[in-house]
Amino acid sequence: MFKRIRSLFRVLTRRRDFEDGMSEELRFHIEQYSDDLVRSGMSRGKAARLIRMELGSLTNIKGDCREAFGVHLVDELRRELRYAARLLRKTPGFTATALVTLAVCFGANLTIFAAIDSVLLRPLPFPEPSRLVTVFNTYPKAGVERDGSSLTNYYERRGHIPAFTSIAIYRYGTAIIGEPGSTEREQVMRVSPDFFSTLGLGPVMGRTFSEEETSYQTDNVAILSDTFWRQRYNADPNVIGRQIRVDGLPRIIIGVLPPGFRFLSSEARLYFPLASRPEDRTSLQRHSGGNVIQMIARLKPDATLAQAQSQIDAQNATLEVDDPQAKMIADAGFRSLAVPLHADHVAAIRPTLLLLETGVLVLLLIGAVNLVNLLLIRAGGRVKELAVRQALGASRGYVVSETLVETTLLTLVGGLLGLAVGAGGIRLLAVLGYDRLPLGSRIAFDTRLALVALVAAIIMGVVLAAPIAWFNLRRHMGNALQSESRGGTSGRSAQILRHCFIVSQIALAFVLLAGAGLLGLSLQRVMAVSPGFQSDHVLTGQISLPWKSYPDGAARLAFVENLMDKIGHLPGVLSAGVVNNVPFSGRSGKSAATVKGHILRVGESARGHYSYGVGGDYFRAMGFSLRLGRFLTAADSHGPERVCVVDEDFARYYWPKTSAIGQRLWEGSEQGKDTEAFTIVGVVGEVKQSGLTEDQAQGAIYYPYVFHTDNSIFVVVRASTPPESLALTLQKVVRQVDVEVPVNDLRSMETRIADSLIARRSPAMLAGLFSGIALLLTAIGTYGVLSYAVAQRRREIGVRMALGAQPRQIRIQFFSLSLRLLAAGTLLGLIGAWQAGRAMRTVLYHVPALNLAILAGATCVTAVVCLAACLLPSQRAARISPMETLTEE
Amino acid sequence: MGKTAELLPGTLDMLILKAVSLKPLHGYGVLLRIRQISKEALEIPQGSLYPALYRLEHHDLIAAEWGQSENNRRAKYYTLTAAGRRRLRDETAGWNRLATAIAAALNTTSEEV
Repeated sequence: MFKRIRSLFRVLTRRRDFEDGMSEELRFHIEQYSDDLVRSGMSRGKAARLIRMELGSLTNIKGDCREAFGVHLVDELRRELRYAARLLRKTPGFTATALVTLAVCFGANLTIFAAIDSVLLRPLPFPEPSRLVTVFNTYPKAGVERDGSSLTNYYERRGHIPAFTSIAIYRYGTAIIGEPGSTEREQVMRVSPDFFSTLGLGPVMGRTFSEEETSYQTDNVAILSDTFWRQRYNADPNVIGRQIRVDGLPRIIIGVLPPGFRFLSSEARLYFPLASRPEDRTSLQRHSGGNVIQMIARLKPDATLAQAQSQIDAQNATLEVDDPQAKMIADAGFRSLAVPLHADHVAAIRPTLLLLETGVLVLLLIGAVNLVNLLLIRAGGRVKELAVRQALGASRGYVVSETLVETTLLTLVGGLLGLAVGAGGIRLLAVLGYDRLPLGSRIAFDTRLALVALVAAIIMGVVLAAPIAWFNLRRHMGNALQSESRGGTSGRSAQILRHCFIVSQIALAFVLLAGAGLLGLSLQRVMAVSPGFQSDHVLTGQISLPWKSYPDGAARLAFVENLMDKIGHLPGVLSAGVVNNVPFSGRSGKSAATVKGHILRVGESARGHYSYGVGGDYFRAMGFSLRLGRFLTAADSHGPERVCVVDEDFARYYWPKTSAIGQRLWEGSEQGKDTEAFTIVGVVGEVKQSGLTEDQAQGAIYYPYVFHTDNSIFVVVRASTPPESLALTLQKVVRQVDVEVPVNDLRSMETRIADSLIARRSPAMLAGLFSGIALLLTAIGTYGVLSYAVAQRRREIGVRMALGAQPRQIRIQFFSLSLRLLAAGTLLGLIGAWQAGRAMRTVLYHVPALNLAILAGATCVTAVVCLAACLLPSQRAARISPMETLTEE
Repeated sequence: MGKTAELLPGTLDMLILKAVSLKPLHGYGVLLRIRQISKEALEIPQGSLYPALYRLEHHDLIAAEWGQSENNRRAKYYTLTAAGRRRLRDETAGWNRLATAIAAALNTTSEEV
């Protein structure tokens, strides 16, 4: 089969040679034969006659030869294509409408498919990616759904879970690279030695990390990404063994990763060993994950996820036996869950993408129905022509193939235009912030997408051709030749079919509209939620303090106080502070605290709380509201007594009846010495820590900065001017304090909140766009069908008007037809919208699946659009002049 | 020319394969060769010769190449391919079986029944 196609292809690419060769071969035959005949004594004239008789028509022979190669099929196709193109050119209005419909529908579908493909479908770029899993600790009853894994987990689990070939851990971070004066902050990953072997993809040059390099004394090595190697080292092949300064300390480059190496959505350009001290790996640290370190593992070829899970459960059970906190851990519902890595990474965005995909598929359906309707009308206008051609001998197969060629030509051109629209759509996704979603940076316009467009266009062509071909064939020639010429009524079944299509179109558009309304309302409700602080006029930026210069709390406090002093003197600054993590930064960790005198009730487990270290005038800078007592001040980091501030939720949870002021607590899950206890001096209002949709408060504790430091801080500045205008000044001030410390991620709090809504805003906007298009398509479809109905019944209307019917009656007749279609469509749409609302529940925020206001609104909009589309044809019907129609033909 | 027989359907391909199996031939040569090897008993319908040749070429049973004829004219020569050789062998065997069977059937006398 393949050989034959190749042979046909060869002929087609050298068609001229094929034809010339055929002619020459036949000429040779005739001359040889004629020579032989003359030689045997025949006259030339007689020989020529005899040959013509024996050979028959040369044209026939050539035709048969072409057919032997299958060339005739291509010739026929070409002829049909020319014919179809001519027909389409003759009806520019129809062709343009059809192409625009196809372009928009294909474009929207390709755009969303590109997102679905990159995020959900395409496997991770590692060998056998389906066997990669991630394992994390969860304490659901303590309000901690996800706590990463601890170093202890890693060292205890490694080699003890037979279902895994290997286990690795990693943590994201940033580092300051380069010599003083020319430093840059880079995204980095700290990984265990088996990280690359677990992924199945490691350095192409040099080696990976060794076990010895996981302690702080010997971890001064680094592996570079391909892009970093090319940009910083100009792709130097002798880079291995060279030194690189990281956070002020030298490291030796030991490897370079292959081009395109990328772990999930990480932007890391350098990889370091994940170093730790022996005391970090003891059983005491087993539950100190804090969602910082994450674990991945690779399943053995013959092992299942369920086996791995049960082995982990079994090991956890054994290990927890001698844990002094075993009961508390068990009460918190502790488990270590193993889940597929890819699915886990995109779990949050999956429902949204699937929702959008459903939306565009509905749009495509509406577009297809529209096209079928338009094509049916068009076929109706050509019934007579087709009947004549069939009477003259056009076969049924010919009628079908002609329809198929025409629709496919249409859909292929539409698909091409759709690719252009899709390319624009992918741009739009980037503008909407899709590249910041998990794996979103993979969304791109590529050959895969073009191929999908091609296949979709061909399938669409066949699907559209089917009803048209059926319509064309079903008509009896004789009837067709007679009817219509006298302007009688059209075929009843065709009319019913068209009306059904209109009803389904209205219903589908209604569902899209209602869905978009639900998303919009949900977004509105989310945006109406107060974050709990005054987000206007606040600038925030992240600062990483290098380990070398700032090893402990005292050094970091000195930096913070120096910085606060400088910022406080800037013009336009009202107040400034620091915190280890601002709300909405997307990485809030919870940790345990022990309240003095609190005895766990039966069934109650210890809770994880948001814990922060705050310095400067953080509360005023962020605009917190004070409920009781006082805010923390800079002096509390130096004071003789340990104090802290908690939020309302925390206070309400532990002291529902009394005041929280004066109560004492310890950091960590155990009661400590009395001198280490923190006394609560103030209660502040609750704030949304991780997002506006966070429904369950988890309590928050704010410690003076010196007691809760790490090497990453956010600086928060409240200004009287627009906050972005301060960004450059802030960077300069930080550089004055320490040249080696850059500021990153400078954004106003309002921007941070807006960014946290990407996954809600963009679907609402896209769904709005889709439903707008859907309404437009529905309007076009309704208008087309009604115009056609009017045109077809001109004669009937003319007769009725001649017999005394009033224009008003005619108008009402057509209007009531459209009302009936609208009513049926809306009714079906209501059912659909109800189902869609139910399916969308997971992505909606405080909006019920059935919202009367939205349904009423959708009904109104659909009705207005459809009736507007009916108005023009109805008017035209009412203005028909009986004289004209009766004298026509 | 003596008495000629009508070709049975499907036998033309077989005869063409046989003809070119002996020696590479051009189209006209195939015609002459079939006449010759059938002792002038088979007459090829000339109109169907070339479509048959093209069909066999398309199915990769014979291969075509331009060359020089005996009288120094450019002519298209056909040779048998490996697949063609296999096909010829199969068809010859099949034909022989069929011919034997039909001959045996037709030669049956009333005594043998």
